[in-house]
This record gives sequence, C-alpha cells and structure tokens, in this order.
Amino acid sequence: MTSTDNTVPEPLGASAHSTGSVQATSATDNVLLDVRDLSVIYESPGAAPVQAVDHVSFSLRRGEFVGLVGESGSGKSTLGFALTRLQKPPARTNGGNIVFDGSDIRELDTEALRRQRQGGFAMVLQSGMNALNPVRTIRNHFMDIFRAHGHVAAADREARAAELVRKVELDPSVLASYPGELSGGMRQRVSIALALSLEPQLMVFDEPTTALDVLVQHAVMDTIQALQQSEGFTAILISHDLGIVLEATQRVLVMHEGRIVEDGSSRDILERPRDEYTRMLLSHYADPRAEVVELPGFPDRQSRAASGRTRAESATSEPTVVTRSVRSADSAIVVDHVSKVYPPPRRGEKPVRALDDVSFTLEPGQSLALVGASGSGKSTLAKLVTGIERPTEGAVRFGDVDVTRLRAKGLRDLRSNVQMVFQDPYAALNPLHTVEYTLSRPIRNMTDLRGDEARARLHELLETVGLTPTETFAQKLPHQLSGGQRQRVVIARALASDPQVLIADEPVSMLDVSLRAGVLALLEDLREKWGVSLLYITHDLLSARLVTDDIMVLHDGRVVERGVTADVLRNPQDDYTVRLLDAVPNPRRLRGDVA
Amino acid sequence: MKYIAGKLGLFVLTLWAAVTLNFFLPRLMPGSPADAAIAKLSQNGPVTEATRAAIEAQLGVPDGSLWEQYVSYLRQVVTLDFGVSYTFYPQTVSSMVSTALPYTIILVGIVTIVAFILGTLIGVAAAWKRGTWLDALPTLGGSFMSTFPYFWTALLLLFFAGYVLHWFPTTGAYSATTTPAFTPAFIGDALLHAALPALTILVTSLGGWIIGMRNAMINTLGDDYVTFAEANGLRGGTVAVRYAARNAILPNLTGFGLALGGVVGGSILVEQVFGYPGIGYLLFNAVIGQDYPLMQALFLMITVSVLVANFLVDILYGALDPRTRR
Repeated sequence: MTSTDNTVPEPLGASAHSTGSVQATSATDNVLLDVRDLSVIYESPGAAPVQAVDHVSFSLRRGEFVGLVGESGSGKSTLGFALTRLQKPPARTNGGNIVFDGSDIRELDTEALRRQRQGGFAMVLQSGMNALNPVRTIRNHFMDIFRAHGHVAAADREARAAELVRKVELDPSVLASYPGELSGGMRQRVSIALALSLEPQLMVFDEPTTALDVLVQHAVMDTIQALQQSEGFTAILISHDLGIVLEATQRVLVMHEGRIVEDGSSRDILERPRDEYTRMLLSHYADPRAEVVELPGFPDRQSRAASGRTRAESATSEPTVVTRSVRSADSAIVVDHVSKVYPPPRRGEKPVRALDDVSFTLEPGQSLALVGASGSGKSTLAKLVTGIERPTEGAVRFGDVDVTRLRAKGLRDLRSNVQMVFQDPYAALNPLHTVEYTLSRPIRNMTDLRGDEARARLHELLETVGLTPTETFAQKLPHQLSGGQRQRVVIARALASDPQVLIADEPVSMLDVSLRAGVLALLEDLREKWGVSLLYITHDLLSARLVTDDIMVLHDGRVVERGVTADVLRNPQDDYTVRLLDAVPNPRRLRGDVA
Repeated sequence: MKYIAGKLGLFVLTLWAAVTLNFFLPRLMPGSPADAAIAKLSQNGPVTEATRAAIEAQLGVPDGSLWEQYVSYLRQVVTLDFGVSYTFYPQTVSSMVSTALPYTIILVGIVTIVAFILGTLIGVAAAWKRGTWLDALPTLGGSFMSTFPYFWTALLLLFFAGYVLHWFPTTGAYSATTTPAFTPAFIGDALLHAALPALTILVTSLGGWIIGMRNAMINTLGDDYVTFAEANGLRGGTVAVRYAARNAILPNLTGFGLALGGVVGGSILVEQVFGYPGIGYLLFNAVIGQDYPLMQALFLMITVSVLVANFLVDILYGALDPRTRR
C-alpha cells in the first residue's frame, strides 16, 4: 500500500511465464525465487546516478545453494539487499520484479514485508560481527525475534534459542553474553543462528566470512554448508572469493558491472567458463601446493630462477629507469631469541605471550614470508622490527644497530631504512591530501632532496610503482584512485626514503583478486631491481608462494615450521601448516568432492 | 557492584582533591581579605595596627600553621560550617546557601532534566522520520533556538509575557505577600514565578539535545545491527528504541553529565535577569561584595555538584552500557 515503486500491473505469476523462463516452465512448483529484469539505481544528490544492478534475471529452485560472485563494485551486495528489500536510499529499485514464493515482494507494504521475514527470506550481513546490538544480550536478540513474530510459544523460547545456538556449534551459555564478550567468529555464528530462528525458506549470506580469520572462516563456511544441507533452506552466498563460492555451492552466478555475465553449475564454471571475466577471475586462483604456481603476469619463481638470473646479479647488472642510490653495504635484520609478553588484558587473567623465542635473519635482498592466522604474533613481530615496540626478551638488530635500544633520532634513521606497507590502503592514506603531498612528506623528512630534485624524485617514485602519467596521478586525491592504485601510492611512500627493507603487512588482502597480481608483481620487481629485502606478512599462502623465497610459519607466537617457501608449502611438516593450507579456498575442491 | 565501588572510590578521591585545592588556591594568591578591607579604609586616612588587628579578628583571619589551618578547614567542610557572611553579616554562610539551593536545584535541575528527556525524545522521532516534516521542524527550530543568547531570550520573555501581557510575575521566587511554607498557595505562587526562568532555560538548551540526539541516532541507524534487526523483521518501534536510540543515547549521557554539573553554577545570568534568589544570584552578590566566606562555600558547592553529577552519570553509563562494566 505504501509502495511507491512502479510495479508492473500484471497479475502475479503471469510475468514469469510471459518472459519465457526455462526454469519457470519446466519446474514452476519448484521455483522459490524468480527475478526478472531487476534494476537498482543509486541516486545520490549531487552525483551522477549509477545503475548498480542492470536488468538482472535469474531464478532459484527450492533447496538450491547458489553463489553470487563479483569484485567490489560489481553490484552483488546491492542485488542481495534488493532481493531482501533491505536497500535504503540512495539505492532504489527502478525496474523488474522479484517473485518470491509466488508473490511479488516489491508490492508488499511495510507490515506485510515485516511479517514475511519470518518463514520468508533472511539475511546474514557482511560484517556480521557488528550485526549484534552491543547493549543487548544474545538471549535478548533471540527473544526480540520471537516476540516480533510470535512463531514460538513463550514457554518454548528459551529452549528454542539454546537449540539454535547449538546448531551453529556454540554452547548455550553464550545466550547470557553481550556481543562484546564473544569473538568475531562466535558473533558471526550467533547472527547465523538468529537468521535461522526465522525459519526462512531463503537465506542470503552476504560475505559471511570476509572479516574473519582464515581458519575461522573455513570453520564458519563448513557450518553454513552443513546447515544448508540439514535444514534444507535455499541459499545465496554472496562473495568476492570465487574459491569459497565454488567450494560451497552447486551453482554460481558471476556478476560484473551490474550484470550477470555467467550462470552455470559450479563444475561448468570451473571447467568450462564461457565468459572472459569468469576466466580472468579463475586465472587468479592457484594451489600453493602445486609444483608450478603461475598467475597472469606472474611466472613461477622456480622457472625464473632456472633461467639463470640470480637476484644479486639482476640488482646490479640491469640498469633500470630508476637507479638506486649507491650503498656501501646492505645490512641484514637479525631477530635473536625474541619474546614479547603483554600485560594481562583484564585483571586476574594471565599475561599474553605474543611471541615466544623467535629467531630469524633477513638477509639483504632476501624475501621472507611470515605466515599465521590472526593472533599468531606476526604483526607483533613487525612492530618489534620497526622499533614501534620493544621485545620483553632478546634482541633485534639492523646491521650493527640494536633496534631495541634506539631513541628518537636513531629510530628516525632506522625508519628511513626499514619501511612498512600497510594492509588497508583505504585507511593508510589521508583522504584530504593529494598523492603529491603524501609523497612529498617522507621525501622532505627522510632525504636531503629539496625543490626540483624532490619533485623529480616524486615522479620517479610514481613511475617506479607504475602510476603513469605521473603528472596526472600526483594531483589525485585518494578517493579518485582504485584500491590497487592506492596500495601503489602506499608502496611509493614507503620507498620515498630509499629503504633497504620493506615490511609488507597483508598488502593485498583488501584488494580484489584481479588487482592482487599487479601489486605482488610490483613488490617482486622492487626486490629484483632495487635489492630491497622483503618481510612479507600474510595469512595468504598463495601470495607467499609467489613473492617469497623462504617462509616461517607462526603459531601462538612460536615458529612451528620454516624453510624454502616452495618446499614447506608442498611438503608441510607441522600440523598447523597443513590446517592453514587446507583453509585456502580452492576452486578445484568442489562441493561434491569434499564429502 | 565492583564497578560502582570503583567509581565511588574515584569520586571520593577527586572530592578530596577538589576540597584541598579549594583550600590552597586562595592562599597562594597575594593579599588577603584583611588587606583589601584596610586598603579601602586607608582612603579615608591612616590605619593603625590596632585597627588592622581588629579587622583581622573580625574577619576571622586564621592563625596557626598551614597544616593546622587545613585540618580545621576540613573539619569545617565536614560539618558544613563556612563561617559568617561579610556582606550579609551576621547571617551564616550555611544558612544562606541552604536557603538559595532549593530554588536553583528545583528550577534549573528539573528544567535541565526535562530538556534532556524532551530533546532526546524529539531527536529520536526526528531521526526515525528522517526527511519528513517531523525531522525538518525540530531540527531547524532547534538550531534556530539554540543560537539565542540566554539573557536575550530572558529579556524578551520578561518584556512580552511579563510587562506587556502580565501573564507571569517578573521578579523573585515568590510574591512579597506570601511566606515560604509547604502550602498549596505558596507552591502555586512559586511555580508561577519559576515559569519564565524555566522557559528561558528550556528554550535555549532544548535545541542542542534535539540535534545531538538526532545526529547520534542517524549514525546508529546506519549501523549493521539496525539493518540486521530490520532484516529479522523486528517491529519498527523495537528497532527505533531498543536498537537505534538505546545506543545513540550513550554519547549524549556525557553531555548530560556536564549539563547537570552546571546546574548549580551555570544559572547566574538567568537568576540575575529574573532576580531569582538561587545560587547564581547569591554568587553574583558574593563576588560584587567581596564576600570571601560565601564565595568559598559557593565554589565548593559548584565543584561538588559537578563531581556528583559525573558520578551519577558514570553509574548510569554502567547500567546502560555493558562494555563499560568490564
């Protein structure tokens, strides 16, 4: 009644037949969701309207588990929100219809839509960790839902809530907790249980595991898959990660620039991808355990090494556009039996041992991967090496310098030689400053270059990281750049002081797969041409395989395994390394093949 | 419980620090009340040592070491004995403060609480109905009203509602013909006298609460837990109150604490304009008359009221936000 949408005045159900949908005619009874020519537009005031979803049509049979894949900006989340009618201005549905269980949900008024949430469609949000009200207990979240719909008798509610929590593999004692007292994975499980409490026919999972740690991610996906099979709901899994989707679902829709470019069974998508975009996405997956690992623009390390170029040679013998200032001797970073203990987070708890007796040496020009799940201590180690924090025991040396004893001036010198590349290129750049300003600061602070020399250096840096024409890029603000371009600016900033060591903390984890290879290739290039050594911190074993010679696996602050990257990944010895490897999404491990 | 105990301990500690500062700060200043009085006298001719001693004795200028003075000061604070007022001799400071305090607390305190509750409710409604007239009216009106200076609003109300229309009395807390007592006649009379000052405070402070709450709530409305609550089909009222508003009010409590703390000290202008015999009026007269005992007691009152208000808000915060309890 309150609907202002310009819906098609055709009788319900007729539209599906008239558009001649193959699925609809072959198995009408079986179709749960039928989307025809759905379009969603973003109309922000003062900006050109963006057609985020453009005439999308597909239908879903009951019990199907379908993946919806695309990179950022493809419109996949917008589509998910439109399907569940959760979209908010400036997004607006401007065409098509969504027939769910026989009725067009675009015609429902607010109250009918609200009732429909029970036994209809439910959604689990992207950042499910923030999907819980911080001032209400988990029990109250369940009670709110039961009260809103009255589908569980008051006397049974407590038992039902406990049962639902058990279904997502949590202990019913979490019901008494506040969201802040649970871990990210637990919170995401709770929000899945809450969505389940609606007894929905359709569940839309919007990037349900993106914000979670690799191992947790894997466990939560397993739970979702098991629930889908036991509860029998129809599900849409929205993700940027084709690997996760192919592993979990039977059918995949690939979305690109607001359109569905491919719709097929998971096996067809994997083995016979028809669309170029799908092929591009697939090409960025590889098994880190394979003998030869290649990505587009990224030949295998071993084959390169076999072609006869050693790194030391290439650093000196190949004159490149950018010449590195002459250095008498490059220094190694030596981490010597280092431990770091943090005081207990709360009174009465035990102190946190973030690092436990870790030793390694990063030779000049070497690249070393530091892998582990979150909480393994890898970021703590980066903080110790850059002198941001001091170890509780042991020593960190850079050449002859004891990093742990440095004061202000010494730390400054250290930082002109040891630079960080941060994880989140969206947060690492000040949104109010142009690229030129961002890069001119470290040049001014860390080098003696001034005036024209400084300007020349700035353009040299931009060229090095592949942001050409440099004049254009220098004037841009961060929001005018893509994620990959921003990460290149962050790398250029790190290079400004002409460092000997780059510490890259998950430099590609926030980027779309199609952009990752470019940034990784840049890191590799810098090392070969400039002789920069690289400490590559990541949970992503594939990228570690691509850009590093050696690897160290951290678990609970201890080094559990180390060696040549290819050897360790192909033949892991420690149980934890194996678990990390198993958690890597692998399109080739199809849903059917897992069981 | 542990949380409250911790906050209580902190409260007692800051209270002691404030009381101590209140003792030492005036003693660090050059000159003394006696010097001031003698300087005034000396304009009429030379002042003898005897006169000086007499003035000091009259003012009760303390003798003994600083520590002895401090101990006796603490004893006075605990027993609420602040000596005798200079300007309203021989009334005691305590009796003057206790006469003025109820007027201020009832007038300004109640109005501050009402303004907060009213402003918060309007802010919630405005944010929930964002983009409608229910949002535009209070938001525009609120920002308009909150730009009025206190005293200007007070003068306007005095002029129109008092002098021109004769709806309300223009000065004092009660009519000269009544005597303070708990009778319906007196209470009605007092309320009538309080109406204009109350309206002044309400008009000037309401807008801030409305806009603060509206903006905070618009932020929480964009939070994931609100979207998720909608996705779960919770009723609109539940989403607005228990999810969005419940979280939006938390940052505003800090502002409320500051406002409550300002109740005792912040009413000088209003009370002055309306000749309302509260703490602000008293403080103004104490400063004009260089009434040191009275000033000292009033400053202490103001400090304590800020501390008490903050303590109460801390307790409230603990009750409303589980994250602070840990």
